[in-house]
Amino acid sequence: MNWLSRLLPGSNPALDPEQRAALDAIIALAPPDLARSHYETRYVVINAETGPMDGGGQRLLAVGAVAINQGLLHPADAYRTQLGGTPVDALIGLVRFIARSPVVVFNAPFNQGTLERALEQNLGSTPDLDWIDLMVLMPSLFPERTTGQARMDAWLGAFGIDRLDHRDALLEALCVAQLLQVALARANAQGLASPRDLLDTQSSRKWLRGS
Amino acid sequence: MDTSASDTLIRTNLDFLLRHAPFDRMETEALRFLGERLATAFYPAEAEILIPEDGPPRFFYIVYRGKVQARQVGSVSVTEYSTLTLGPGEGFPIGAISAGRPSTNGYIAVEDSYCFQLPAADFLKLQELSPTFQLFCTRYIASLLNQSREQLQVQFSQRAAEQQTMTTSLSNLVKKAPIFVGPELATRSALERMVEAGVGCLAVAGEDEKPVGVLTQSDILKRIVLPGFDLTRPIAEVMTTPPHTLNASASAYDAALEMATHGVRHILVVDTDDKLKGVISERDLFALQRIGLRQIRSGIESAADVQALQRASRDIRQLALNLLAQGIGAEQLTQFISALNDALTRRIIELNLNRHDLYGVEYAWLAFGSEGRHEQTLSTDQDNGILYVLPEWADKEPLKLRLLEFAKDVNNDLAACGFPLCEGNIMASNPELCLTFDEWREKFGTWIREPHPEALLNATIFFDYRVLYGDEKLAHKLRHWLLSMTGGNPAFLKAMATNALDVSPPLGKIRDFVTDDDARHPGTIDLKKFGARLFVDAARVLSLRTGVDATSTVQRLRQGGSRIGMPAEELAAMADGFHFIQLLRLRHQHLDTDHGSSGDNRVKPDDLNELDRRILKEAFRQARKIQLRLKLDYQI
Repeated sequence: MNWLSRLLPGSNPALDPEQRAALDAIIALAPPDLARSHYETRYVVINAETGPMDGGGQRLLAVGAVAINQGLLHPADAYRTQLGGTPVDALIGLVRFIARSPVVVFNAPFNQGTLERALEQNLGSTPDLDWIDLMVLMPSLFPERTTGQARMDAWLGAFGIDRLDHRDALLEALCVAQLLQVALARANAQGLASPRDLLDTQSSRKWLRGS
Repeated sequence: MDTSASDTLIRTNLDFLLRHAPFDRMETEALRFLGERLATAFYPAEAEILIPEDGPPRFFYIVYRGKVQARQVGSVSVTEYSTLTLGPGEGFPIGAISAGRPSTNGYIAVEDSYCFQLPAADFLKLQELSPTFQLFCTRYIASLLNQSREQLQVQFSQRAAEQQTMTTSLSNLVKKAPIFVGPELATRSALERMVEAGVGCLAVAGEDEKPVGVLTQSDILKRIVLPGFDLTRPIAEVMTTPPHTLNASASAYDAALEMATHGVRHILVVDTDDKLKGVISERDLFALQRIGLRQIRSGIESAADVQALQRASRDIRQLALNLLAQGIGAEQLTQFISALNDALTRRIIELNLNRHDLYGVEYAWLAFGSEGRHEQTLSTDQDNGILYVLPEWADKEPLKLRLLEFAKDVNNDLAACGFPLCEGNIMASNPELCLTFDEWREKFGTWIREPHPEALLNATIFFDYRVLYGDEKLAHKLRHWLLSMTGGNPAFLKAMATNALDVSPPLGKIRDFVTDDDARHPGTIDLKKFGARLFVDAARVLSLRTGVDATSTVQRLRQGGSRIGMPAEELAAMADGFHFIQLLRLRHQHLDTDHGSSGDNRVKPDDLNELDRRILKEAFRQARKIQLRLKLDYQI
């Protein structure tokens, strides 16, 4: 791959036919019904692990993903990948795991940014994803706990969630997934019963903050 | 599924589980099985995790983080606690999920909590996979059995209130508020008051409620009617004064003594301020006359005829009720009944020996079936036989005839004393059951060699024999021979085991219990056929296999089970299950005979309280467990 092609918008990286077919199949999946309740929805919590890139900036090294399906966290429904030498397969594996479920992260500018960039560069066209940022949502769900955005540590501490190993993308995703379980229970109590409600709340929150 | 990611998450589950009992001791494979299947759910404070209305629980829960409270639901308290807080590592609802019935508790998160949940089917599978986990659950269930026993004692204490002892305080005996009048009241009015209240004794007390006198029915004739006493004059002039009073804390015995000493029939009961609390009559104390074990026993041993023994038999029944009322366990109770029935039978035999000369004959009077196992309830008919030695010098026929005539009289006397004649003619007066040592050996040997259904049925009755009277050594010799025959005969044991597995515990897949579809007894379970017998039959196989002399089911389980390496805790849980069923049978028979209908073994699960139902189900599960063991051991 020509280094220049990475900079050209809309350019299609070279995927072999098998990879192409796999990606197309995922893109062709029907988008989830965002109006269904949390307890009928599969969320995928993602955590990106990055390292410094030659010439500055951050490069995606690994991704951990844990699903919260119908409110439950099940060890069988998890994914981890190192980008290493075969970033295309790794990322196809990730989008296949996501399967168009709403994606939840803590700190979207970092996680979403890094991931979208990596997907764009390595896969070219990617499925449209719905991103939910707990960093934005948590203060609006728990106004009594904080006045503004707080670090992940603060939220984990508030709910007694153990941070097992912050260097492990999967275990980090596990923490965020447990945080999401708390968030879903509270959202439900506040009448925000569906992913759509969460996305709307997030937009208005962002708009209020002028971002 | 991404195995490396899953493995990491499973590892975090296991790390947690390994910090908590019983998972810290659980077998590696079982632990892995559990770790793979645990899903985590979050419950905010005050959220209901599980309530009885949910029906049979779909999941077993383990608290991961936070606190969960088990709260009694409904008006009937079924456990000793009203609330119980569960912390990390503690699981629920073990009883309900094991039994597949709705939880009796509501489980509520008292703070923000995470719980692991395991599908119910996997919970049961885990018990199969992990002896450790199974033991843990068994112990838990055994603790429920204990709670149930305590509960039964509470229930019976209500009946015990009618069965109080002479040491009961008078405050417990006073049932009604006292009827009393002032000393200035006209005698006519006072008598009218007596008639109106229907009392035989009228207390007279001042405005301070302190008694000053008493007038009884017998006084009326002597002091009022015959002397022509003017009825307009005050009652104070004819009453007995001072009245006999006792403090409410005095015992019934004190009252009886006071009455006997002073020749009175009524005692006024006063509180610590000397205020009138009530009246105790001689009749109130009669009701307290209790029949004790020792009196019955000496009554039996000194009985001169069958009539005296008939009274003793009724007393045994009454004693059993009293003991039951005191909350005595089924094991001890059946032992008491058994001991007294033995004494009764021995006395009947002794009385008959006065009329039948068996001097010099070596013989033993055998009890079979439940009597042989010391497990008689109160509606058992007689099962007995005779084992004798034919001396070389004697002719068999005349000797046997003598024994049969003697046996016939004993059988009839036993029937007169409340042990019905056996419909199947399993009685010593049956020539087939009055046999020499060699004949019994031949009979038993045939059953063992050719275990056809009838032979097996016979084995279940006759192999439980026990000597009630006569030569014990003879019977022991037979027992040792029998055990040596059965212990080394896997084919016979397998046939016995198959026979024991003929009836399954009446546990339903959908409903809690499978009840009889017999139209005459809708909705009932025969606790003998579908309950006690399952334990009895399995224990018998165990004893014949391992050479246990004992005939009682619990002894057979304890001794035989430990000989094949079953853990003591497990055996204790089985014994508890058996005892519980026996206790229900006894209670049922007592309550029924109290209401005038015949005592049978048919219990309606719907009529039991929630706890009894629950424990009965656990008891049946214990039966299933011992049956499962037989199935595995004999590959049936």
